[in-house]
Amino acid sequence: MNLEKMVQEELDMDMTPMIDCVFLLMIFFVLVIDLSQKNLEDLILPRAEFQEPDEEPDENRPILNVLQNGTVIYSSKVYYDPAQHGKDYSKIKDLLGDIRRVGIANKTLTLVDKDVGGATAKVMDEPILIRADKWTEWHYVGEIMKQCSQPDIAFWKVQLALSEEDKETGEKNASLTRGQ
Amino acid sequence: MSAIDDAQEEANMDLTPMIDVVFLMIIFFICIEFKVLESKLDAFLPTDKGSQSTVVEPEEQLSIKIHVESKGTEDYERYGGKGVNPNTGRPNRFVLDGHKVKWEVGPKPVYTLEALRKELVRIASLPESQIPDKANPGKTKLMSCVIEAYPGTYYNDVSRTSDAAQSANFAEINFGGGLGPGK
Repeated sequence: MNLEKMVQEELDMDMTPMIDCVFLLMIFFVLVIDLSQKNLEDLILPRAEFQEPDEEPDENRPILNVLQNGTVIYSSKVYYDPAQHGKDYSKIKDLLGDIRRVGIANKTLTLVDKDVGGATAKVMDEPILIRADKWTEWHYVGEIMKQCSQPDIAFWKVQLALSEEDKETGEKNASLTRGQ
Repeated sequence: MSAIDDAQEEANMDLTPMIDVVFLMIIFFICIEFKVLESKLDAFLPTDKGSQSTVVEPEEQLSIKIHVESKGTEDYERYGGKGVNPNTGRPNRFVLDGHKVKWEVGPKPVYTLEALRKELVRIASLPESQIPDKANPGKTKLMSCVIEAYPGTYYNDVSRTSDAAQSANFAEINFGGGLGPGK
């Protein structure tokens, strides 16, 4: 009977620390997912094969999302909705102006002097990323680019987000399929 | 003895199913694609617009025009039908069926992306496509190209076009704007 008890005790290993660890891991992953996706809307980006990868992006880079109907979203908030604002693109300009003002005040964005054909102009040193759905009409993206180039906004480094995989058709770049 | 044994069994609850479930959840969260595979296309906008009046010598550049052949129809069925997603508050996506564009590279019309790529590679290899490089006097560089997207074209059309230009080694890609909405 004594021997049987000893065997029983060995089998009943204490699982509590392991479960603790596992729960901590879960909480970590849930938080990481939430943080990394805060600024990214659920869009399907067009696939491109010959662009540079977005490795180590600037943390302070503002990200504008453009939905299929042209709605402009920044930090999960709608700033311009074509159904509501129509051709009044001043909302986009106001948004870019706010991003610029807050960024400069918080020292997350910096202004630099740039030589333009003999004269100097103050331009933003940080890039701005535009993420548009593949089936967003181009003129909405073009309008944001136009507003970015205004001298009082001066986000002159505009980046357009593309993907290595088209999630609509399932097409992947060769660089992604090579490893499989 | 039997009563003690019973109590022992109750205290040692079987945790295996719970651990199984927890592990499955961990695997699920790891596998979820939270790392979005994104690349980027840089577009440097002119900084002199509106701020000064220096006359800049026009530089020769290749014009790539995108015209809409057929607009296509919006298919909402694949992503839950037309309406707003109650979980996200965003409108449901649509897929554009039968959208077709044609390109005009210089004066030459092209109808497929593959043909566009070949035409751009051909143009890039011509000696007359090399222009003097102002930044490095005495040297030449491949001329820049400008993508002019006509009304009704989509981000997908423009990005595929710029991708084709990039594949043909065009380093400077400009976007012609101000052509107005499609509707």
